[in-house]
Amino acid sequence: MSEHTTSTALRLRPPAHRVSRRAIGYWTTTAAILWIVLIGVQTLIASTSDDAPAFLSVTLVISCVLAPLHLIVMPQWRYRVHRWEVTGEAVYTQAGWLKQQWRIAPISRIQTVDIERDPFEQLFGLAKITVTTASAAGPLRISGLTHGRALELADELTKTTQAIRGDAT
Amino acid sequence: MSSTADTETAVILPAEGTQDAPWHRLDRRMLLIRPVLDLVKSLPVLLGALLFGHGEPWQWFGLVFTAIAVFTGVSHVLTSRYRITESQVEWHTGLLLRKQRAIPRDRIRTVDVTSEPKHRLFSLAAARIGTGRHSHGKGPGKDELVLDAVTVAEAQRLRTLLLHRKAVPAAESATSEEPIAPSEQLVAAVDKRWLRYAPFTLSGLAVVGAAVGTVYHFAHELHFDPVQFSLVRTVVGHFADTPTWVSVVLAAVGLLVLVSVLSVGGYILSFWNFRLTREPAGTLHIRRGLITTRSVSIEEDRLRGVEVREPLPLRLAGGARCVAIAGGLREGKGADKGGGLLLPPAPVARVHEVVAAVLGEDPAAMPLTRHPRRALYRRLSRAVIGVLILAAALYGLSWLGALPDWPWQAALVLLPFAVLVGWDRYRGLGHALTGRYLVTRSGSLDRGTAVVQCDGMTGIVVERSFFQRRAGLVTLIAPVAAGKGHYKVLDIAEHDGLDLADRAAPGLVTPFLEH
Repeated sequence: MSEHTTSTALRLRPPAHRVSRRAIGYWTTTAAILWIVLIGVQTLIASTSDDAPAFLSVTLVISCVLAPLHLIVMPQWRYRVHRWEVTGEAVYTQAGWLKQQWRIAPISRIQTVDIERDPFEQLFGLAKITVTTASAAGPLRISGLTHGRALELADELTKTTQAIRGDAT
Repeated sequence: MSSTADTETAVILPAEGTQDAPWHRLDRRMLLIRPVLDLVKSLPVLLGALLFGHGEPWQWFGLVFTAIAVFTGVSHVLTSRYRITESQVEWHTGLLLRKQRAIPRDRIRTVDVTSEPKHRLFSLAAARIGTGRHSHGKGPGKDELVLDAVTVAEAQRLRTLLLHRKAVPAAESATSEEPIAPSEQLVAAVDKRWLRYAPFTLSGLAVVGAAVGTVYHFAHELHFDPVQFSLVRTVVGHFADTPTWVSVVLAAVGLLVLVSVLSVGGYILSFWNFRLTREPAGTLHIRRGLITTRSVSIEEDRLRGVEVREPLPLRLAGGARCVAIAGGLREGKGADKGGGLLLPPAPVARVHEVVAAVLGEDPAAMPLTRHPRRALYRRLSRAVIGVLILAAALYGLSWLGALPDWPWQAALVLLPFAVLVGWDRYRGLGHALTGRYLVTRSGSLDRGTAVVQCDGMTGIVVERSFFQRRAGLVTLIAPVAAGKGHYKVLDIAEHDGLDLADRAAPGLVTPFLEH
């Protein structure tokens, strides 16, 4: 379908910037911890319990197969699809794997700009930015930025937002 | 009605709206109501602990719990105070845990005055002061102030004072406190003949469901088998002789009659004396209710659009209702629901008249652009696959012996209906752009046509699932700081969707588009 209409059909172009390459390490680490806990608990039950349920060995095998696949594919894929861009007028983000999502918020409608860092993000020198508008449709999130870049960006956005009058609703 | 109250408050009024405005307290008569209500509310815990904890050391837990509940209620009434200064509404409360809240006056969008039966005993009312900030599904929103309760006259005074500031720019002077009797312009009032739409709202179904649930729950808790009850046994015994299909038909007819009667009752209770008026200061004023009266004011500047809702039964009967999309109105369950109702179930033509009167035009009546045929396949496959999954799950359960055979067979019978609903959902899909408004329609069982003001959109979201991508479709989401929070244009062709977004929010999307 898209083959013969590409020339005239409108499309959203991907946002200009990728997140930091260090985010790949961060995503791998957090996912690995989740898998280790999941597999660890199952192994613990299977090895210590006298009558471990039969399905446990099945789920354990499935987990052991899925874990490396997820750890190899997910961070690379995420790095490719998570993109962002900030212009003088708008913030533009792209995310999503099976369900892709593009969000555009005009800077004049921004209400808050938050920076968050969990312990692992601190370890990797990363931060995530959450930009909220007055709507309940959900904020724009950019995760995997380097801390310095995030601070710069938040600063820039806050300055522009303050320069615009009105209550942004 | 308000004249007596205004003379009452006239003594302290001159200072209202200044830096050192006087503090007001909640009405003391709530001291008679609150403790009784708190007591009733904590009755289950109280009785439960006493009955089941008999002889145990924790049997007095219920008493402590009740005492705390009553104490909290009383202290809330006693310690709460509020005042309206030049720039904000301040509110202090709490004895042990003190809370202070200040809402800037220019952020106030709506004032919702509700008199429940407990209030009407002393002609009191709860006044909810809402800001434009959207507090969807987070319980009592942070930006909202509830004064529970003040006198009805005081609530009306607050409403006038807080919302009519534009008409009276010198808010700090005493002029604003004059009982401005604005010459209201009637937009719509309920008509007795509209009662015929009540059964089609099926609102009685919820009541029947809740009643059956409660009875079943109690019977189960008390190990009370209804079949042993003589009346039930006679009825069941009577039906045992008649063929099954007769009993089913009789039960269905009985349920239908019961639901209809309850729906009509509900319609009368909720929409008695419904009046939608426009005040010169630029507010819409909605009043309604027989026992619990409700009065909601919406600043017209803050109206982000309207939604025409036509659930399937109501649509078949040629009816619809109309809801405001406005900031500061709470969306939620129970008492919060329907704050922005602009017209109760009424003839479609009347609904469109109201939309036209409220917005100045009627984009909801515009012919809508249909969505591509690929959207039909998606609607159909979603409806059919949903039923198939249900049937498969039920079959699985019956295979395991947890259920008899008929549930999954019944689920398969639903298939043709699922196809019909899917087709109707596709037929309903449509969108349009009329100058200031974006119109989008979707749904079958609960069809809604949303008219959203383009200026009210706080951005643009484009969504594309794996299957949508294959079909070349996207879902365009318009986030707004009002109503549901976002309105979707479902399954629109990618090119059309982006073009629509570009026209609805000029300049916002353009830099990110490519051909």
